[in-house]
Amino acid sequence: MRLVWKLLRQHISGLQLLGFFLANLLGMLIVLLALQFYRDVRPVFSQDDGVINNDYLILSKKISAIGFGTTSFSDSEIKEIEKQPFTKRIGTFTASQYKVSCSMGIDGVANFGTQMYFESVPDNFVDTDKSQWKYDENSDFVPIILPRSYLTIYNFGFAQSRSLPKLSEGVISMIDMMVILRGDAKERRMRGKVIGFTNRLNTILVPESFMQWSNQEFAPNADIEPTRLIVEVGNPTDDRIAKFIQKHGYDIDEDKLQAGKATYFLKVMSAIVMGVGLLISALSFFILMLSIYLLVQKNTVKLQNLLLIGYSPARVSLPYQLLTIGMNAFVLLMALGILYWLRSQYMEMLWAMFPSIEETSMWPAYVLGGILFLLVSVLNVIAIRRKVSKCF
Amino acid sequence: MNTIRLEHTFPEVFAKRSDLHSEVWQQDVTLERGKLYLVEASSGTGKSSLCSFIYGYRRDYQGMISFDGANIRNFKTKDWTNLRQRHLSLMWQELRLFPELTAIENVQIKNRLTGFKGKKQIRQWFEELGIADKMDTKVGIMSFGQQQRVALMRALVQPMDFLFVDEPVSHLDDTNARIMADIMMEEATRQGAGVVVTSIGKHVDLNYDKTLRL
Repeated sequence: MRLVWKLLRQHISGLQLLGFFLANLLGMLIVLLALQFYRDVRPVFSQDDGVINNDYLILSKKISAIGFGTTSFSDSEIKEIEKQPFTKRIGTFTASQYKVSCSMGIDGVANFGTQMYFESVPDNFVDTDKSQWKYDENSDFVPIILPRSYLTIYNFGFAQSRSLPKLSEGVISMIDMMVILRGDAKERRMRGKVIGFTNRLNTILVPESFMQWSNQEFAPNADIEPTRLIVEVGNPTDDRIAKFIQKHGYDIDEDKLQAGKATYFLKVMSAIVMGVGLLISALSFFILMLSIYLLVQKNTVKLQNLLLIGYSPARVSLPYQLLTIGMNAFVLLMALGILYWLRSQYMEMLWAMFPSIEETSMWPAYVLGGILFLLVSVLNVIAIRRKVSKCF
Repeated sequence: MNTIRLEHTFPEVFAKRSDLHSEVWQQDVTLERGKLYLVEASSGTGKSSLCSFIYGYRRDYQGMISFDGANIRNFKTKDWTNLRQRHLSLMWQELRLFPELTAIENVQIKNRLTGFKGKKQIRQWFEELGIADKMDTKVGIMSFGQQQRVALMRALVQPMDFLFVDEPVSHLDDTNARIMADIMMEEATRQGAGVVVTSIGKHVDLNYDKTLRL
């Protein structure tokens, strides 16, 4: 192997390899940085709350001045929205058709009670732990998702003025609530538990299966027409959404649409930057391949003679394959090192501006780097082997 | 491998020649393991072509060449690699040494592939052939006669059923040619290999089993 390498390293051009090294490093770094930056900055725009995904819009009808017009959506209106090109999926909000009251207590002493209502959306729009988000008819347990703003109202309005203790999200999740469902003829007490909070929906959510069962049980004759729709859109910046909504006089949470737009642009920009990075990577791959081809060409006689004295093409290719794999691995390590350093620089700034954002992991960047490394190395290995085999 | 058989074989460039009077081309010839052959030829009769056809790196011939009955046209890269490591050895007329490597490295590059001879044996050959002082000299600056001796040693550091030597002594004096022939025959006999020596004039004086005019 040492002798073969001594022969085959003849004509290796340091300058060409340096060119490849820098180009590949730049390409790899841009790709990884774009991915990492996107992942780090996205929470700033999306305020992801982990319960309801960001690409959903909540659609309702405008309430007229007097307030007695119908605000529910008919089947044909839902079908029309479903047919729009910007719609990916659509779900309806189902409201409870019976009376709900609820009291919360610590150590069995009820100290906070209120009338309230429930709503549900199809379960696949709720992005939470599915093992908790379900209802079993034989049990008394109801999982509930609350809007985060309700907690704010309680903590900073209600509790403040009545000298009640302030409650954190964690504490709320530990409290058992007594939920009383009252229909025309029946009443039932159940145990409710808050399993999550959301910024995205201003409603008290229960699982859809619970809603179906309870409406059937307590208000079997009520006519249920949805008043709000949840719509997943492919591209929140789509002009047609705004036009459609305006034309039909629907209402939409503008703020969320803006956040959606910002996230969308971040996505597009990151994709463009990654595309440029990939292009540079691809070009650097060609620099390396040209360089190796030139090397094989210059060393053709040596390669042929090695094959003639009994070396196999695999064995003769090995030094060049190891050379390229080594270079690719070095590039990967350098790129990850530089990425780590750059990230520590901008994360400091980001934390200074948005103290609340959570640290995202770097694993996806590592994995993507690994995949690029493997892909490029495998292509190198195959190309070199084929080139050398032609000398046989 | 015990036999190499040529059936109506001739180089494609000879296809239009009608004056082919050869004991090899367009004949049925069988080379047997353990025998010693001399192929005599004048230049331009395809002596090196014969070696390259049998060694598998040129295929521009008509007719059939077979090893133990197997047509060598069907052999794959992996078969040839195996043959060249364990069954067939060739000392080229143009030697095909690596000028960047020293004399000993040129022998070792083959010997490391086969792991066939010890360092001691190789050193002994260098001494017998009178080039022990050139072991660490780059082959590129050695004389052709010295290079021929290096090439012979490289051809011998492998197991083989047949050894082809293409004009092995063209640049050697009679004494050195004799030493070289002795080393070659000693190794070939030890392995029971068939030996095919080609020559266009000056040839080693050996006890040939058969002489073929190309």
